[in-house]
Amino acid sequence: MRLRLKGGRVLDPANGENGVASGAVRDIEIEDGRIVAATDLKADAEYELGGAVVMAGGIDLHSHIAGGKMNLARLLMQEDRRAFPEMPGNFCGCGGGRAVPTAHATGCRYAELGYTTVFEPAMVGANARGAHLEMADIPNLDTGAYLVLGNDDYFQRLLAAGAAQEQVNAYVGWMIEATQAFAIKIVNPGGINAFKFNARKMDLDEANPHYGVTPRKVLTTLIRAVTELGIPHPIHLHGCNLGVPGNDDTTLATMLATEGRRLHLTHLQFHSYGTEGDKRFSSSAARIAEMVNANPNISVDVGQVMFGQTITASADYMSQYRNRGLASPKKSIGMDIELDAACGVVPFEYKDKSFVNALQWAIGLELFLLVEDPWRIFLTTDHPNGGPFTTYPHLIRLLMDRDFRNAQLATLNKAAQAHTLLGQITREYTLEEIAILTRAAPARILGLTDKGHLGPGAVADIAVHTEDADREAMFSTTRMVFKNGRLIVKDGVVVELAQGTTHVARPDFDRSVEKDMQRWFDEAVGLKAQHFRISDGELRNGAGPTILKCEGGAS
Amino acid sequence: MAEVQTIENVACGFCGLGCDDLTVEVEGRQVRAKAPVCPEAARLLRRLDTADPVARVAGETASETEATEAARQILANARAPLIGGLGVDMAGAGAAVDLAIRFGGVLDHYASEGLFRNYAAAQRTGWLSTTLAEVRNRCDLLLVVGDDPSATWGRLFERFFPATPLFAGANRRVVFLGAAPGEKARGQLAGAQVVHHASDDPVAALEALGTLVAGRRPPGESFGGIGADTLAALAEELRNAHYAVVTWNAAEREDGDLVATRATALVDRLNVTTRAGVFPLGGRDNIIGVNQLLLWRLGYPLRTAVRGQASTHDGTLFATEAALADADVLVWISAFRPEPPPAFAGKIIALAHPETIFDKEPDVLIPVGTPGVDHAGTVFRMDSIVSLPLGALRVATLPSVAEAVRRIAEG
Ligand code: SF4
Repeated sequence: MRLRLKGGRVLDPANGENGVASGAVRDIEIEDGRIVAATDLKADAEYELGGAVVMAGGIDLHSHIAGGKMNLARLLMQEDRRAFPEMPGNFCGCGGGRAVPTAHATGCRYAELGYTTVFEPAMVGANARGAHLEMADIPNLDTGAYLVLGNDDYFQRLLAAGAAQEQVNAYVGWMIEATQAFAIKIVNPGGINAFKFNARKMDLDEANPHYGVTPRKVLTTLIRAVTELGIPHPIHLHGCNLGVPGNDDTTLATMLATEGRRLHLTHLQFHSYGTEGDKRFSSSAARIAEMVNANPNISVDVGQVMFGQTITASADYMSQYRNRGLASPKKSIGMDIELDAACGVVPFEYKDKSFVNALQWAIGLELFLLVEDPWRIFLTTDHPNGGPFTTYPHLIRLLMDRDFRNAQLATLNKAAQAHTLLGQITREYTLEEIAILTRAAPARILGLTDKGHLGPGAVADIAVHTEDADREAMFSTTRMVFKNGRLIVKDGVVVELAQGTTHVARPDFDRSVEKDMQRWFDEAVGLKAQHFRISDGELRNGAGPTILKCEGGAS
Repeated sequence: MAEVQTIENVACGFCGLGCDDLTVEVEGRQVRAKAPVCPEAARLLRRLDTADPVARVAGETASETEATEAARQILANARAPLIGGLGVDMAGAGAAVDLAIRFGGVLDHYASEGLFRNYAAAQRTGWLSTTLAEVRNRCDLLLVVGDDPSATWGRLFERFFPATPLFAGANRRVVFLGAAPGEKARGQLAGAQVVHHASDDPVAALEALGTLVAGRRPPGESFGGIGADTLAALAEELRNAHYAVVTWNAAEREDGDLVATRATALVDRLNVTTRAGVFPLGGRDNIIGVNQLLLWRLGYPLRTAVRGQASTHDGTLFATEAALADADVLVWISAFRPEPPPAFAGKIIALAHPETIFDKEPDVLIPVGTPGVDHAGTVFRMDSIVSLPLGALRVATLPSVAEAVRRIAEG
């Protein structure tokens, strides 16, 4: 099967090509789901693009799309489901929802926006099989999941006992393989575990009440583990003290704690709060961005807050429990999970008239605009925590259009306006930078060499947008989306459902850890390690995973 | 004669507790469970060396193709089908949803009453809950509300209280608030201190406990048959516990929704100063897994109707009994146990356990294999977090629910 997309302006930052700037048009050729060098061969289908912008399919590296917490959120927020009914299209009547859409709606809505790959950033080991079952039911997207580690009692015990790094590495390798994970996520390092022993707060250098282990130790040990195992994506960190005014110091200290090793800080917006002003809540975006700019080993995603009703779902039960008084509507769910992790689900409505919410919105945008290197910052709302992913086109316009941004700012809570320097920032993102943020850079930081670009050999995941000065309109409607070379969206509407794949990482590790894992599961967890382990055949209805080999691990 | 094969670490999908350490002997087509096992698993795993029954249409022996075709005909002409029972593994649940999407229909599990009583509390205020491994290792005070659950969950207390928990010290306590614990429970709880407070109205007792834990003394001398001082002492124990857990079976009592609400409120209050969680009992025949799948596929839990290209949920209207009043076809699916369909005047298509005894001959009967006996599958444990892979113990001659349903839906 050979396809040709004719006469598009190709925007492919990974390969240094910018047809938007140069005005050059060219064809893109696809053979059996991959991009190939142009030929004279007759194509099975040709699409005239007439100068439309052609980019690789979007990649979201942090969006909560599967796993037990999303189902808890669906259960708790039936209002969301009822308010957003089924999408049109003669497919399967498979649900709707906005803050917590169903698997079907997730796949279709993302595809409509030109996204073809999305990573679930908080898969709990105990729930991994369920998360994979759920991901298999998401159409049109390739997925993968980061395993939440660091708050589990097995790991805390290892650290408390002073285990050698090799032992930790073997454990991490075993867990990644057993849960079919793609990377390691740490959520509130040690804090979730400490909450089970009734600690309510956990700073970077505070000791766990039972194990005596500090978050810093958790972080540095796991950073070393993923480095030495050669896992492409660095530690994906949800740091200490999420949402707490004054957490900026912790965030800065966390960056320094890496000692130059790679670290990805996620939803940085929620970790960039100072305590200045009479409301004791202020923006530290400038300080934080400066530190990010100065440290090339650090990458971040923003977790932009967008106004309206959403629901927050996180493994950070400690923080979620603290915030549950703010729930709107007034109800929440919390859960301690299997000596492994936890979760907290709290519905939330971000209001533009609220000082805190308006400032959160501004802090996110400040971070976007003050972090200089577009290859190290990623466009996220931490869906659904900061807002649903369907708000991305609006967010893109905020980044690309200063007048629009300032007009929005002018409508917000007055005190918040006085506390942000957003109005003075003149930067506007270019289309190329948006393409970097949403495609090229995530592919690079995830180690996906055949994604996020349009060179020969790349997976033919392609989004075609008609250029429009209103960037929100431009990114709301995708003219065409191809998934593995199949046309799945036409003129903004899903026309076909494609089955995606699940990416997993497979590091080499010392298999002598197996015996110890069996003993742990038998004695402590009360489940057999062999049943915890997920076989390849359990993924994607038997199709199995797409395996990313881990090489070049170095300390 | 076939050789006896011993299979260890077999996972069990029947009651929702998710034991996965069973030893099973297989001899040709015969299957029998050895230790450790509860009576329910022993009964439901047991297979004799007999041929499986074949499909029937209107009581007459039929080929599988004929039965599939007859089922499709009935569904194609159906006005309001109910897809009930739903004792299926995850693949079967996915197929059942596909069937509802293809032909329309209400989806409900035969054991969903308890689930919805718990949801009455959960959807209003939410809850703070915990899972099995946390109970095993952390729980130093367990409050069991209502009847002794060991009759339904044969190995519950054995799984809750291992000999050497990681954290809960030597003084683990179990308080039964309601009926007295039976011999089995006492046996499994030999390592813990067991107390029984008889109560015929545990809702009243729980409510008073909640007030006492909050630091107020409710007016009155006794609550639900338990003296105020006894309850005050228990409230004090709960406040001093490191990790208290409240467990109940909402299905067993008419006022199960109130038990769930009061237990949730009590745990909520305890967490202000210490740690605690609820552990609602349930989970029979993968009801939790089926419910999970509905939530991620349709956005609604069980008791949801799919019509046209849209689904609607109504916990009352679409409960099996109520929905049957409006239904003209019942698709009855029960793969884990010979659970017969409820009385129904309309047409019945049964995808049933081979030992099912019917009051009335179904219009179409397709015997199906059991997940974890005849074929592999996945089921969820009652805590809704952990799921288990079930393996096949013998060569299947019957189709799985997923296969049987797909044949009907895809024709
Ligand atoms: S207690 Fe439940 S899960 Fe355990 S063996 Fe018995 S039926 Fe199976």
